[in-house]
Amino acid sequence: MGNALSAQQVSVAFDGLKALSNVTLSVPRGEVTGLIGPNGAGKTTFVNVLTGFQQPDHGRVLLDGEDVGHLKPHLMRRRGIARTFQSGRLFAELSVLDNFEVTGVGLGLSRREAAEKAEAMLDWIGISSLAERTAGGLPYTDERRVAIGRALMLEPKYLLLDEPAAGMSAEEAADLVRLIRRIATDVGCGVLLIEHNIGLVLSICSHIHVLDSGEVIEDGPPSAIKASERVRHAYMGTQADAEGEIL
Amino acid sequence: MQRSQTILQRTLSTPVILIAILAIVALAALIVGTGPFNQTVIEIFIRIVLVVGLYVFIGNSGVISFGHIGFTCLGAYMTAWLTILPAMKKSKLKGLPDIILNAKLHYGWGLLAATIFAGLCAYIIGKVLMRLSGIAASIATFAVLAVIIQVYSNWDSVTGAQSSVVGIPIVRTVWPYFACAVLVVIVAYSYSISRSGLALRSARDEAIAASASGVDITRERLIAFVISGAMMGLGGALYAHSVGVVTPDTFYLNLTFICLSMLVVGGMNSLSGAVLGVVILSSIIQLLRWFEKGVDFGGSIVALPLGVQEIAIGVVMIVILMFRPSGLTRNKELSWPHWPFKQLPAGRSRAPTG
Repeated sequence: MGNALSAQQVSVAFDGLKALSNVTLSVPRGEVTGLIGPNGAGKTTFVNVLTGFQQPDHGRVLLDGEDVGHLKPHLMRRRGIARTFQSGRLFAELSVLDNFEVTGVGLGLSRREAAEKAEAMLDWIGISSLAERTAGGLPYTDERRVAIGRALMLEPKYLLLDEPAAGMSAEEAADLVRLIRRIATDVGCGVLLIEHNIGLVLSICSHIHVLDSGEVIEDGPPSAIKASERVRHAYMGTQADAEGEIL
Repeated sequence: MQRSQTILQRTLSTPVILIAILAIVALAALIVGTGPFNQTVIEIFIRIVLVVGLYVFIGNSGVISFGHIGFTCLGAYMTAWLTILPAMKKSKLKGLPDIILNAKLHYGWGLLAATIFAGLCAYIIGKVLMRLSGIAASIATFAVLAVIIQVYSNWDSVTGAQSSVVGIPIVRTVWPYFACAVLVVIVAYSYSISRSGLALRSARDEAIAASASGVDITRERLIAFVISGAMMGLGGALYAHSVGVVTPDTFYLNLTFICLSMLVVGGMNSLSGAVLGVVILSSIIQLLRWFEKGVDFGGSIVALPLGVQEIAIGVVMIVILMFRPSGLTRNKELSWPHWPFKQLPAGRSRAPTG
């Protein structure tokens, strides 16, 4: 499995309760891969496994063919796997620029080098005006963009976005889609997008995996996911008709 | 976007202002010139070394340590061992190794050795403790303090157990204490704007996100723990040379309480808070000391009961925690031209929120 971040037969259980069961999934470089599923499906647990926050009970995590499933989170970062969190988790008392610089120094850069890199990244994301703002006081949408920019400071090969559009308006979500496309195409990053906004996932992902109760119940291109009755039933439940418009 | 100034240029006013405050305090001792006032100023400088030492770890990591005064004890005894006359050591501290038993060093070497020894001990202890977080880490640091004090209270042949170790050369001029206070302020400031300081503060705010940003939290905490431990050792050595006598009891709960109070009152996450907390609380303590001794009001002597100092510090700390939990400085730094305060947690300004 070269040039991909992949999970092979990954299983995780908490106190005997299965959170993930034999999940196999691959995130190729330069593409946006979607991961959807109802609440409690195991999406965040899966992201935690791919980023070193959760050791799998069984299975392997391969980074461009190398087994990295045993590495600690900060070492996973240094190998090129970055992530954002559902709740933002910005360094609230630091400025936006400092939030970016932390990632630079985490990579081993000096503060001067980290500052230069942070400024360039702020420019690239288009949020230079926020540089001196305190991260703890940012509006929700800006917080999400800062979280993505901070993760990109790592120059990751793979970026895992955990519900980046939660709470965004349609216009803000459209901006986010443009940003994610740039990350995949301009940076060449492999993006795993975990998101409840199905329309957004279908519009941007080349391949989508559907998790339900810790198992992958379907995977394929957006058209296949759209057409899958199993996905409709498992993911949408009785709301399938109501959501039909989105699909 | 290009910033015209470096981090150093933007934040340099903070240590300059703090050192100026220290210089004013030192000059006050010079102008007043009395022995008791001189000793008060020396005490202030020693406390600044200790509280700034606490700030380096607590302020940057967010982990409350109850054990740092243990390193103060280590430093105080180290300089005592190296600077007391060999004849005195041979009668009271027979268990010391010959090389130390026969040594009679200048107090400057004693300060250096105390700093290094405490830093080394902090490294060894920190290698184990820094894997812990939150309340577990705090309790563990307290356990370290208890262990150190128990060892020094009972190791008769090396520490004299609970009896006083006397004969330590007394340094009565304020300048060495002033120089050490300036030194720790510079080191603490340099650490706070360093990459390690930034990384540790990010872990203080959001440990999981810091880890996801590539920060090795255990390593960064250990660096701060060693630097602060070394500073506490220096403070202990300075204390030993200010009074000429040490006992283990001196370095236990009372001193821990006073130093933590000063940090809390000033603002735990701020270097300026550490310095101002010492200056303000020391002034209150000194005032109450005078009242405890008795003050003549038109022929009648008014004296406060002993122990009022500690009660007053406790009350001040409770009031601060209730009404201004981020301390008098609100965890900001003294700066110019943004006088008096500016947020400098990471080495640059904190802009208004919203």
